[in-house]
Amino acid sequence: MSNTWRFITTIAKKEIIEFVRDWRTLLALVVIPLLIFPALFIALPLLLQSEAQELDALELEIVWQGTINGTLHDAFNDSGLIVFFEEMPTDITNLSDTGGDADRLREKSTSAIFRLNQTEIVILNETRTEWKFSILYLSTSEASNEARNRIISDISNWESSVVNGTLVKANLDPESTLDPVRWDGDLSNTDVATKGEQAGLILSMFIPMVIAIWTASSAIQPSIDMTAGERERGTLEALLCLPCSRMQLLAGKWLAVASITSAGVALQIGGLLFAIAFLASASVLGIPTLSITSILLLLSAIVIFTIMVVAFELALAMKAHSVKEAGSLLGPAIIFIIFPALFTQVINLDGVESWWFAIPLVNILLAMRELLLDRVISEHVLVWLISSLFYAGIAAWYAAKQFKREDLVASIS
Amino acid sequence: MSGPLLTLDGVAKSFGEIDALTLVDLEINSGQVIGLVGGNGAGKTTLLRLMAGVMEPTKGSILFESKPVSSMRQKLGVVPESTGLYSRLTAWENIRYHSRMYGVPDEVAWNRVLHFAKRLEITDALSRHTKGFSRGMRQKTALLRALAHGPDILLLDEPTAGLDVTSARTVRTLVGQLRDEGGTVIYSTHHLAEAQQVCDRIIIVHNGTIRADGSPSQLLELTQMDNLEDAYVSLTSDKARARNEDTSKEGKLAKWWRRFLTGSTPNSMEVSEDE
Repeated sequence: MSNTWRFITTIAKKEIIEFVRDWRTLLALVVIPLLIFPALFIALPLLLQSEAQELDALELEIVWQGTINGTLHDAFNDSGLIVFFEEMPTDITNLSDTGGDADRLREKSTSAIFRLNQTEIVILNETRTEWKFSILYLSTSEASNEARNRIISDISNWESSVVNGTLVKANLDPESTLDPVRWDGDLSNTDVATKGEQAGLILSMFIPMVIAIWTASSAIQPSIDMTAGERERGTLEALLCLPCSRMQLLAGKWLAVASITSAGVALQIGGLLFAIAFLASASVLGIPTLSITSILLLLSAIVIFTIMVVAFELALAMKAHSVKEAGSLLGPAIIFIIFPALFTQVINLDGVESWWFAIPLVNILLAMRELLLDRVISEHVLVWLISSLFYAGIAAWYAAKQFKREDLVASIS
Repeated sequence: MSGPLLTLDGVAKSFGEIDALTLVDLEINSGQVIGLVGGNGAGKTTLLRLMAGVMEPTKGSILFESKPVSSMRQKLGVVPESTGLYSRLTAWENIRYHSRMYGVPDEVAWNRVLHFAKRLEITDALSRHTKGFSRGMRQKTALLRALAHGPDILLLDEPTAGLDVTSARTVRTLVGQLRDEGGTVIYSTHHLAEAQQVCDRIIIVHNGTIRADGSPSQLLELTQMDNLEDAYVSLTSDKARARNEDTSKEGKLAKWWRRFLTGSTPNSMEVSEDE
């Protein structure tokens, strides 16, 4: 084993051991990335579903003011609405005028107030019945919203039956009259994209963003701990006295931070794949189909991105005079990752110009999006690969410059 | 080898506009305990860091057995003032980390460490995390760490500072034993009595210059004084400069912001250096 490799691995091993000995760090490093996607994709929908079921089972009290309609009343009863009839208030200008009823809704003495007014109108010497209604509700109350939705749904069905009845009475076919232009066949059969490709598209909308933000944010703490933290604790001077060069020291620390960050990202992806497998078993989402080339390029993109981000964060942390200052520098620096990550999501990949693949950060994120769609476009690959290596080189150069500073030896403890 | 182990030739070190050391010429031979004695900010730590090869001199050269010292760090054992122990590692893990960096097999390092740990009465603590260690325990662990690879020279920066009487005595005893076994130790301190007790040769550093270099008796002869304390005072009679090795300068914006938040110092409160 060469001296250089021995130095690098010894430093990296020690840094990792020291880092994971703190259980809080281990929790943040292992548990959170592993659980974040299953929590988002499995637990959250399950919770939402259970809440929705709970709401569906609720019997809600509503007040009905004005004209009574038997058919509609029956529909309300079937929808779990308990109706209390009242006279229509006399002090309102129209049915949507809340008048004195606003306080009843705010006090939640009723979930909603349904107002219905039946009038007879004469059109072309024919008397017709017209219905006017309104629903008073409190949008910030889930029960009130639910009552409103049930009323609207019942009214919609009742309205359809009224319209259909009128059309039949006039000797017209309701379907051809109301829906003369119709889709033929199964809509889902018309998309030539496979389930796997569709899954790739969905994943490409957030995986690059998650990887970018997680890589950058999870590298902050170890970067600070291994640089400004060492200076502040007074351990850096002893380390600089060792027979390794500053570059070897940087490489060892980089390897440690990159390993910690990669472990976090790998666990996060593991959690994501588990969530996808769960959703695929429920036929909600397919498993993306990627070629070996796409997978290898995807991994290369992640590695290059990690090199760049970790080197840059180590450099900034080493530049800082204290842990506090390093935190103040690196915390806001995440914005420079989040903003391009969000920006990249809205770039249309069809016919995207090659120069987009040369913009720092955007290039890697775009590359990951394309590769998740299993699109390997040689020109784009060449541009993002060369430009990313160039940016990673600049980050490494900047980090090396910071590590070679002579004042590092002076402890700030 | 007959020549000097360490040679400093016309060494100067500046931090920005501050001259931390000026024209230092020294030769360190093996088998001696050399004390660097001086007040705070005299330049002792800078001199030790230059000798340790972690700083480059602004002028002059520092050679270890005729080679630049920065390329010979393998031969040095250094205990900085801050000791530099990792609190989440045990004492042995701290030592092993360094010895592995020196390429020493764990077994060899362990045997060497045990040998010295018995003398320092710290054997039982080797498997304990250093988090709860006292200053004395930390210093002893740092000493073991510096000795684990069998260095030719041991550089100690104020090794007894902050130690209780017993611990300080144990450290001094070990230094004496190392000398008796042919080892070379460079020992920085601002306690003259300690230097007199431990060192064969005392180098008095003041305001970045070497004021005297010799055995305790030679220093007394040079100054025509009865005791070393009087000798030291006579050699360092000029006012000691303020300690300042911090090269970081406050930027204009930072200065403005500080003054904006805290207000500027009234002129009447600014004290002249001459007062």
